[in-house]
Order: sequence, then structure tokens, then C-alpha cells
Amino acid sequence: MADTVSVPVEPKHDRLEPPESHFVPATDIYETADELVLVADLPGVKAEGLDVTLEDNVLVIRAKPREQPKASGDVLLQEFAAGEFYRTFQLPADFDTTKVQATLKQGVLTLRLPKSERLKPRRIQVKVE
Amino acid sequence: MAIKAWVPAAGPFGELQREMNRVFDTVFGKQFGGPGRMRVGYVYPPMNVRETGDHFVVDCEVPGLEMEDLEVYVAGDQLTVSGQRKGALPEDGVTLHRHERDAGRFSRAITLPGPVDSSATEATLSDGVLTVRIPKTEDTKPKRVKIRVES
Repeated sequence: MADTVSVPVEPKHDRLEPPESHFVPATDIYETADELVLVADLPGVKAEGLDVTLEDNVLVIRAKPREQPKASGDVLLQEFAAGEFYRTFQLPADFDTTKVQATLKQGVLTLRLPKSERLKPRRIQVKVE
Repeated sequence: MAIKAWVPAAGPFGELQREMNRVFDTVFGKQFGGPGRMRVGYVYPPMNVRETGDHFVVDCEVPGLEMEDLEVYVAGDQLTVSGQRKGALPEDGVTLHRHERDAGRFSRAITLPGPVDSSATEATLSDGVLTVRIPKTEDTKPKRVKIRVES
């Protein structure tokens, strides 16, 4: 049984930040013996609005909210707004980008990154449940 | 459910806001484990309420919740949204790197500004957003008042 290696996962604020305003999705990150799992809240986002890339150990999550018909009526209370999500994470070890699984369910993105040797960087397909 | 941190645009005002965010990140972020959010005055779920001619429409951000996790009640002129939010973190055998998404039971009630028809209320859930459409009763709908001119 392999020992679980504890490594920090730090966000990369400095580079890759987009110029526009955006929301930062709340994210849980945990690690098992075999994989790193990342769970991010992206309410109002559909698969077609979601873009996840992993290159050089930097994970970038970008998401646009779904298209909605213009809301009618008078606003009585407004505690949240629709807007783009954006967040980057510097991952600690090399992951096999071809084996990354991404699923989106009720506005929650779950990324499973199996620990292994690093291969070429590529776009991750998102599966909708 | 953490309040979403809002990152402002580039430019002088954005830069000032970013500086403030950095101050708060340093003081609050590390201890509370989030992107600088403050816990004071925190409600869940966040709600948007609007009023049309014959409905109140309430949207709630509830990512990760399914139908069976939610209970929506309308009693009198009060709407209650409650339920259970399951966390993503397994019990054992994990190393936790980041924990920003809250889990547990929640319940939130808001009072609507007029009488409503609870039996005809509809609720839909999609992409982690719950939308409750509550029809107003006849009394609440705006009625044109005839003006009589007195000479």
C-alpha cells in the first residue's frame, strides 16, 4: 500500500488572471492514496459554458452562467448575481491529463485526477450527469 | 455554502478593491480557510426575489442539492426553504487541502410582501438553482382604481 503523500495545493493568483471581474467558485480539495479530488460550486452553469484545462500542473476553471431570458418584474431582494467564474490552481505533482475525469451535476464540478506520470497537456472533456 | 468572492475589474478602483481583499485574505482567509469571506451576517441559501404582476419569483443558489435534499414550504405569506447539504469530503483516508464548501442542515424563511396562493406554487430545480414561483392571491394583484371626478 503506497504511503499517502501530503502536498500543498496553492492557487496561482499572479499569472493567468483575466482582466474582467469574475466570481471565485468555492472549492473543496482532498487527496486519497490514488487521486486528487477537486469539487467546485458553479451554480447556474451548464456543461457548454464550462471550460477546464490542465497544463504544466496549472488547472484553470472558467465558466459562463447559462443563458436566461431577461427576468421580468421588480427586484425585491438580490443576494446573488450571475457572472463568470474563474479560478486557477497550482497542482503539486504530475497528473496524467488523459485520465482526468470531470463531471458536472446540479452546478457542482467534480474533478478526479489520478496520480501518475505526466503526459501531454490537453483539454478535459466534461461529462454531464 | 461560501459567499462567492467577487474579484473586481482591472484599473485604479479595482486595484484598491484588490488591496482590500488582500488585507482581508491575510486576516480572515487563512483562519477561515476560504477566499477571504467573512462569516458575519451569513445566510444560506442566497436568494433573489422579484415581483411580477401576478407572481413572486424566488431564486435560490443551491449547487449540489437534489430534489430529495430540499424542502420548500409556503404557509401564509412566508416561504421556507430548508434541507440538507452533503459535503464532498469522505470520512477517512483523505488528506484535506482545502475546505470552502459548507455542509449540514439549513433552513431559511422569508416573508413575502403580500398574501399568496400556496396550493398553486411551483418549484423547479436546474443547474443548482431552485426557482419558486408563487402566485399572488386575487387581493394582492394590482387592481386599477377608478377615479371619480367631483365637481
